[in-house]
Amino acid sequence: MNLTPANKDIYIDVKKENIVKIKLNKVIIIRWVFYIGIILFLISTYTLKFDYLRLFTGTLQFLKLIIKMFPPDASDWKSILSSMIQTFQMTWIGTFTAAIISFVISFFGARNTTPSSSIRWIARSFGALMRAIPVVVWCIIFVAAVGLGPLPGIMAIAVHSTGMLIKVFSDSIEEIDERVLEAMRSTGANILQIIIRGIIPSTFTSFMSWFLLRLDIDLRYATVLGMVGAGGIGFELIYSIRKYQMNRTLFIIICILVMLLSIEYFNNYVKRRIAKINESR
Amino acid sequence: MDIDLKRKEIYRKIKKLLIFILVIIIILWSASGIGFSLITILSGFGEIIRFITKDMMPPDLNDIKNLIKPTIDTLLMSFSALGASIIVSLPLAFLSSSITTPNQIIKIITRGFAAVLRTIPEMVWVLILVPSYGLGVMSGTIALFFAGIGLLVRSFTEALEEIDNKPIEALKSIGANWFQIIVRGILPQFLPELLSWSLFSLDNNIRSSAIIGIVGGGGLGFLIQSDLSLFRFGQVTTIIIMMMLIFISVEIITSALRRIIL
Repeated sequence: MNLTPANKDIYIDVKKENIVKIKLNKVIIIRWVFYIGIILFLISTYTLKFDYLRLFTGTLQFLKLIIKMFPPDASDWKSILSSMIQTFQMTWIGTFTAAIISFVISFFGARNTTPSSSIRWIARSFGALMRAIPVVVWCIIFVAAVGLGPLPGIMAIAVHSTGMLIKVFSDSIEEIDERVLEAMRSTGANILQIIIRGIIPSTFTSFMSWFLLRLDIDLRYATVLGMVGAGGIGFELIYSIRKYQMNRTLFIIICILVMLLSIEYFNNYVKRRIAKINESR
Repeated sequence: MDIDLKRKEIYRKIKKLLIFILVIIIILWSASGIGFSLITILSGFGEIIRFITKDMMPPDLNDIKNLIKPTIDTLLMSFSALGASIIVSLPLAFLSSSITTPNQIIKIITRGFAAVLRTIPEMVWVLILVPSYGLGVMSGTIALFFAGIGLLVRSFTEALEEIDNKPIEALKSIGANWFQIIVRGILPQFLPELLSWSLFSLDNNIRSSAIIGIVGGGGLGFLIQSDLSLFRFGQVTTIIIMMMLIFISVEIITSALRRIIL
């Protein structure tokens, strides 16, 4: 379009009006989300039909329970420590199994290494299905299938993590510079050589950091999985609550808190380091 | 210079190798500690695939009417808990953000409080709450409420700290009082962030509220647990499909709304 001075003014005006319109729309949407949110909150609180007397007495009881929890009872620390170690080991094995399985599958899920696009689609939706089902639900299914113990917990972690790792591993393979692979292909390297010499070196750091990130998530899940029959610290917790040993319960909760917070801290440190390495490159 | 670069490269490679070896050692230690190998796990998968394909298929649609109430309960619990946790975490966020906090000690206390609430998993909350509030939706809602406070206080605090200070300064200079500064200076910038994080928390709540029933919090999880103990595996499949439908549709709605708002 030829922008003579007169035209220009109109052009700018139209643009301004559009911007104002977009902003207005946004404000209206925000307002509506806000109102609908309040209405939904009121309706759902009303429909749930809480027994408010029960809420009141329950709160009193809960406060009493909290007071009763103090001081934490650490006398049984040996068995609690060993079950924490078990949770930790479950997490590592589950995540590692997931990493191996998804390492293999991710080659089928990445656009530049997959044999055909329908196989890519199958691999990707396989992963999506696995991570759509919550890890606790996987665990109770597995408990029904193979019985109590750490095995269903490990497998639940493995399945759910595989779902996520397939996606992120495939994405990192797709991010590889195509020229590297092209150069290798032109020298007549076979698929195995391309994987070992081309793909693994250039994706190693990202695979490793996703693995560590996933370990953090899985440790969180593993503490919960014990409650539905997978052993470890969660089992200690549910056992201790069922026996109404509140001081011991508080100690276990403190242990879980310390473990999760320190892992979170460590992971933030690793993430910052990786960001730094990427920056310095 | 060149030698220095080379040395750096070698150091980086050695570091990578060391991390890799450490990971392998931890995995071997874990495998020996728990008494499992890859083979045990893979054979376990064989058993599980048989279970899923034989016992859980096909999904049993006969009692789909029983699913309606727990599904609605799951949604209602999330909404109710979300609203309550927004109401509580707003003042806490104002206390813990470094721009609006009245003093440093209060800031540290509220942040620590939020970190504890956030780190304890929802299922643990349900377990602690069930003795006082009984089995059912009330314990579940309160558990979601606690976990929601932990999440929202942190995200609201971060949103408040990123607020542009200029309008507030301007308001201060013309002698606006504290209430006017909050309503006219902070809220217009903060409201989109608030809604976006609340939608995120809603998504989170729905995912959790579907499973907290397993330990006694009401909703779909409760139904799964009881169906599993009655060996009605077909029904379990139906519930899982239902859950996935809810998760996917809620995620689509909330992420679309978040994209529009921000």
